[in-house]
Amino acid sequence: MEHHDDKDLKPTPGDRVKQVLKEKDVRQVLFFFVVFTALFTVLGLWAYPRWMPNIMSKEMRGDESIMIWFTVISAPIAGIVLAFAMRSFIDIQKGDTPPEDGPAISGHTPTVILWSALSFLFCTVAIVWGITEMNTWSQDAIAKESSAMVVNVTGAQWNWSFNYPAQGITTHELNLPVNQPITFNVTSDDVNHSFWPVELGVKVDANRLAITVVHVTPDKIGPFEVKCAELCGIYHAYMETNGQVETRADFDHWVSTVKAQGGAQ
Amino acid sequence: MTTLTHNPAASDPATSRPVPQPKKSLITRLHMGTGMVVGIVFCWGTYFVLRHHFSSPYRINHDEGLTDSHNVNITLLASMFMWCLGFLIGIGALIGPFRWLIGKDLTAEEQLYLAGDGQDWKRYFRYCTDHKVVGIQYLVGVMTLLGAGGTMAMMIRTNLVTPGSHFVAPHVYNSLVGLHGITMIIALIIVSTGPFGNFIMPIMIGAADMAFPRLNALSWWVLFTAIPVLCSAWFLGGIPTGWTAYAPLSTQAGPGMNAFLATIIIFALSTAVAGANITTTVVAMRAKGMTWNRVPIFVVGATISVALAVPAFPTFMAAMIQTGLDRTFATGFYDANVGGSGWLYANLFWIMGHPEVYVILIPGVAALMEIAPVFVRKPLFSYGAAIAGFAGIAGLSILVWAHHMYMSGWMPSLNGPFMVTTEFISIPTGLLFLVLIGTMWRGRPWMKLPMLSVYAFIWDFLIGGITGIYLSDVPADNYLHGSMYVTAHFHYTLMGAALTGAIGGLAFWFPKMTGRMLNERGGYISFWLVQIGFNVLFLGMFLSGAEGQPRRVADYAQIFAHANLISTAGAYSVGLGALILLWSIIHSARSGKIAPMNPWGSKTLEWTVPYPVPLVNFDEPPVVTSDPYGYGRSVK
Repeated sequence: MEHHDDKDLKPTPGDRVKQVLKEKDVRQVLFFFVVFTALFTVLGLWAYPRWMPNIMSKEMRGDESIMIWFTVISAPIAGIVLAFAMRSFIDIQKGDTPPEDGPAISGHTPTVILWSALSFLFCTVAIVWGITEMNTWSQDAIAKESSAMVVNVTGAQWNWSFNYPAQGITTHELNLPVNQPITFNVTSDDVNHSFWPVELGVKVDANRLAITVVHVTPDKIGPFEVKCAELCGIYHAYMETNGQVETRADFDHWVSTVKAQGGAQ
Repeated sequence: MTTLTHNPAASDPATSRPVPQPKKSLITRLHMGTGMVVGIVFCWGTYFVLRHHFSSPYRINHDEGLTDSHNVNITLLASMFMWCLGFLIGIGALIGPFRWLIGKDLTAEEQLYLAGDGQDWKRYFRYCTDHKVVGIQYLVGVMTLLGAGGTMAMMIRTNLVTPGSHFVAPHVYNSLVGLHGITMIIALIIVSTGPFGNFIMPIMIGAADMAFPRLNALSWWVLFTAIPVLCSAWFLGGIPTGWTAYAPLSTQAGPGMNAFLATIIIFALSTAVAGANITTTVVAMRAKGMTWNRVPIFVVGATISVALAVPAFPTFMAAMIQTGLDRTFATGFYDANVGGSGWLYANLFWIMGHPEVYVILIPGVAALMEIAPVFVRKPLFSYGAAIAGFAGIAGLSILVWAHHMYMSGWMPSLNGPFMVTTEFISIPTGLLFLVLIGTMWRGRPWMKLPMLSVYAFIWDFLIGGITGIYLSDVPADNYLHGSMYVTAHFHYTLMGAALTGAIGGLAFWFPKMTGRMLNERGGYISFWLVQIGFNVLFLGMFLSGAEGQPRRVADYAQIFAHANLISTAGAYSVGLGALILLWSIIHSARSGKIAPMNPWGSKTLEWTVPYPVPLVNFDEPPVVTSDPYGYGRSVK
């Protein structure tokens, strides 16, 4: 990558490369390139797994790996740009009158073409990655459609309610059996809300008189948060509730408890 | 087009003498004060008439199912628009059009008077058609808006300093978020094209004035009338919707929402007028010899930006007119209960909303591209790539709007195509970076305030750009959409990139606009406080976003406490830095070091005119014989 980067500037064959590599400017750029690329790579690999919450579904795993790997593949790009900027920054001149002119380089077509080609390649990787991931999600949803458990989610100012048609209950807490494909049919009683079960890694808006659908299969037992991700009025910040992914037995027990408490419909 | 006859004696302070003023003309008696008086009379008159009407048993909409809140909305919106009309009448903006109606026009004397020929500071408070006066008016207007928006930002961050701080009530918080948003958006749309596009750009292309001087004054004073309207939102209960004003929340919202609607409609008029004016000026009024490949890059950027605004803002205006109709006559464009759709609003909004961020970004970048060659003392690296970058961004930006709606449930099948168009924007964006780093390559930059902004831009926009790639990716957006991560991302692009560019532009053109140098020490201190604070602030916000904090929340869970504390600390540093910059600007404009004609050794035309710039800018129309970036010793 470093040699490659160097060629961008002066596409000189053979010995010229060695000569160019000896130049101070070029060495400084290479140094900063390595430093910044390493910095951003480490940041991506280190930060996101620590920053992002528990992974409780395949979808959330997909979200997080995009965050990590997009950072890693962007690292060399950030590295190139920052290396050139840093190199010129360490060579600043002071004074009250304009200093001497630099070399009159008013363009270099091969560099522009190579740069555009690299950007194109980078874009293509990002697009292919995204589309592949989207495709996996929708194929998953289709394959699991027949076995999916339906939960009807209704947002209202300012709470969520969850109707389980098969179980015949309606609650304000979202309990889900582990490894059970779920289909959320989301709607709103009033303004727009956005249904966000955070650790499950999916999200969809709740709209008045429209049903939006999102599929997810929770694959880890534990608590999760349900939030509203669309500004919906005064108490938007407090429009959240608890979720729980649990074993099938625990879930069935929860359903019967809710029924006994009168949450049945 | 108006042609002015220049009176050299009048614009030269050394030999200034009283200019013969048009006798007994109404124009000479009108100014901002008369505008405000007439505006307030119109506003209150309308208010009382309508209020009386709606409380009488004979009101027109008695049996049409309209409630009191509809009537209040009608009354308020009508009063706001009448304020605007009254102000324009009172300041004399409509005298010219009225004369045309009766087959006359302003006399040459009156036109010279309107141009502010030989007048003192009072011309800044009149309907002045001189583009340099309009530029300064825009500059003061922008700084006022940034100050107001920044104060609201400080209050937002103060409220978020700890969980459950309750510094402000939730409804006040929501209003702060919305009004901070719209104030800053308006400020940033005009931050470069307003002051520099009006003051500097005509001189840069060797023109005597803008193509339509009266429209130029109109664009500023129309914008001015929007400011009190926007402020009135606070006195009418605020806006609960954020600056996106999504329906049906906006339909349900209280009377403050009317102020928001009216502001947008008035502002869209102003940008349409300004956009037509700037575009025409650049196309038609360039100096002899200034072929398209010799136009300074800032002029290209500003033109592409305003040309992009021309199709973008009318959709926002239309969206707001429909919101207004829903609120006043219960039309139900966005009301699902009667067959409307909130998605219609979201589409109209983002069809404006995405081009709009590039309307903001492009002139800021272009200003930095103007600055970099001067301070690195090298030609701009690949002028063609710069234009391709701007044009590519502008072209693609009208095809990406639904990436704001991936999670809205509207047409999930279009998410893929919108992801493709969005990701491709990184190619022209990459060219902008190439132009800047190519210009720096093998240069020894002259470290002055404007050049510092170039470095800050590269760092900030790199982070803003790369995080945009995650957000444009549909699966990742499942997690990130509506979170603080988005907020951090767009602040890096709009504030870190566009505003930094504009501040660089201010430091660069300050000597030409005020005749004095911007205080360097104040500038440096402010620069580092703002940039370090900014990065702390928004890196903290990336953290809270990645942890799962939704945006626009007045309160949050304990797990986000650290990230929010970091952000608030950064915010105060930005606030302090901004105050120091404000002090430096005011102090330097009043008593800074007197600037030489061309302090930076720049080769563009604006540095060939003295301060104060003569009324028609150039004594002799300039002839351009080369491109403006002829720096550098020849290689080999």
